Amino acid sequence: MPEKYVRETDSLETSVNKIELLLKKDYGISGRAVALLLLQEDSEIIQLVKNKEPENFEKIRDVINTAKSYYTDPLSYIISIRRQEEANRIIQRTINFEEITSVSFREKLSRLMINPFTGIPVMLLILYYGIYKFVGEFGAGTVVDFIETDIFENNINPWIIKFADTAVPWHVIRDLFTGEYGIITLGIRYAVALILPIVTTFFIAFAIIEDTGYLPRLALLIDRLFKKIGLTGRAVIPIVLGLGCDTMATMVTRTLPSKRERIIATILLALAVPCSAQLGVILSLLEGNPRGLWIWLLVLCLVFLLVGFLSSKILQGESPSFYMEIPPLRLPKLSNVFIKTYTRVKWYFLEIFPMFIFASFLIWAGRLVMLFDILIKILEYPIRLIGLPDEAAAAFLFGFFRRDYGAAGLYDIKKAGHLTGNQLVVACITLTLFLPCIAQFLMNVRERGWKTGVGISFFILLFSFSTGFIVNLILNAMGINL
Amino acid sequence: MNFLKKIFNLNGKNNSCCGAREKGDDHGGKKIVIVGSPNVGKSLLFNRLTGSYVTVSNYPGTTVEVSRGKTEIGGRTFDVIDTPGTYSLFVITEEERVARNILLSEKPDVVLHVVDSKNLERMLPFTLQLIEARLPLILVLNIIDEAEKIGMKIDFQYLEKELKIPVTGTNSTSGQGIDILKGRIEEYARKIC
Repeated sequence: MPEKYVRETDSLETSVNKIELLLKKDYGISGRAVALLLLQEDSEIIQLVKNKEPENFEKIRDVINTAKSYYTDPLSYIISIRRQEEANRIIQRTINFEEITSVSFREKLSRLMINPFTGIPVMLLILYYGIYKFVGEFGAGTVVDFIETDIFENNINPWIIKFADTAVPWHVIRDLFTGEYGIITLGIRYAVALILPIVTTFFIAFAIIEDTGYLPRLALLIDRLFKKIGLTGRAVIPIVLGLGCDTMATMVTRTLPSKRERIIATILLALAVPCSAQLGVILSLLEGNPRGLWIWLLVLCLVFLLVGFLSSKILQGESPSFYMEIPPLRLPKLSNVFIKTYTRVKWYFLEIFPMFIFASFLIWAGRLVMLFDILIKILEYPIRLIGLPDEAAAAFLFGFFRRDYGAAGLYDIKKAGHLTGNQLVVACITLTLFLPCIAQFLMNVRERGWKTGVGISFFILLFSFSTGFIVNLILNAMGINL
Repeated sequence: MNFLKKIFNLNGKNNSCCGAREKGDDHGGKKIVIVGSPNVGKSLLFNRLTGSYVTVSNYPGTTVEVSRGKTEIGGRTFDVIDTPGTYSLFVITEEERVARNILLSEKPDVVLHVVDSKNLERMLPFTLQLIEARLPLILVLNIIDEAEKIGMKIDFQYLEKELKIPVTGTNSTSGQGIDILKGRIEEYARKIC
């Protein structure tokens, strides 16, 4: 409240002047400041003045009391309001907000990403180019073809098989290592030729998306929807990761704060989030059948929301809260992307690799004791129920161990002309919902314990076939022929 | 240099400022006191000015810690005192009381009011209060880089003319503007005394 802006007749200002004249001692600050503090009835200052100049203190007290009687509000309030008004007046002429184009563009982009109307198309665009094009077509297509066909199938496998044939006389042992599902010919090849390129390209895409600061915005965009299914925006990260590999995403559910959220996310990942290997397979199966592809997508989204909603109702627990800092958007740094990708691929590979070898061993053992033939016979019943030919049972069982094998089986059946459009869509839906692979089953057990892990698997088994059954029923009842 | 004239004029009316300087001269060293709200980078600025010659001790009779250090500007040694976060001279907390006591009793030669440039509007009333108190004030607009980032343009010349005190912009994290601030302190200390 500098003096020059105050009217002469202002009673507060008059009181300040009166007190200032009465103050004779040095207080280290101006008399005006002391007078204002006295009028605000600062007890320490009052005491100080009382001690320093008791002779004038009564007069000062009178001035204060008179000033108070002029106003209904406390003087401290009036003084700070006046000071703020003065500050605002100065600020108005001091500060200008200029439109800095890069900043406002960034801000606009950020708002575009969070707003539901524009954010969802942006999300789909990023998923299309980041996941479908880069991971699906380039990683799972081009790179896998090169490593699998050119390196393994044409060079390593024939050599290893030939070597084993001459070096190992026992057929059973040979089968374990170099047979159709052998540790080297399947386990290691699968891990190195299929999973490694898919996961690496996925992690590159993920690191770029992460480094731009998009993920917190996606989390914010999805948060409201996820709250309905017992999750929060935080679950966006494992769910998006699941599009790359569900097994790894299940591991990442560790970042979710409550046990309830972790279980819901695990169920959704195992059931309704197709991994990149699955996506590649489904897309090639439904090629030339766009209506079938849309039905597949629709059913999957419905299942995701329905199961999430139901499990959030069944599983007891507090509704989660969500708070996330939104960092600024920026261009990704190459070194960041490289380091993130490298550490993740390394960590992931060390965790996953033993599981593939173990899976090869399980298949070998299962075939050895004829367990597989029994399982295929059992699977034929639900397969028939959902309207598929018996041959599909083997595809489903092996699909559980090795996704591309299961799909190849379906592909052969399709090529042989034994599958109608409807059957194909039903098979794709069921196969997507079906447990993605043995590695994820093992991961579920490891992360959630035997009881929950096995429980989730049974639920998924039941649910995937029920959904296939219902979809088949609806398609036939409505007379739709795809 | 309008503000200097003003301050010279003020000295005639009120001798608190001059008294402070005389006392300061007796000790040889001059005093810089840093004030401002919490989280505006006061301590970082203090570290930037003082380097390693720092003592931290409780303010007499309280549990509030006050850092004191020394800095050399233009061949002159200054004692630098970092005060606890304060929003106003009208004190509420014990920290604020300590900060005010330092302002009242230490007879500073230069007071640096450090503010967060982004929130200048909220912090300027305290600046006005310090000016009213006729403390030898320099307004330090800290975190200036962030204000610039959000497109804020601050008219320093207008602000200096309006407030009649030196105003400088700094970024105590990167050290940007510290040299200019030192220059202003030197100029200020030399011209008033």
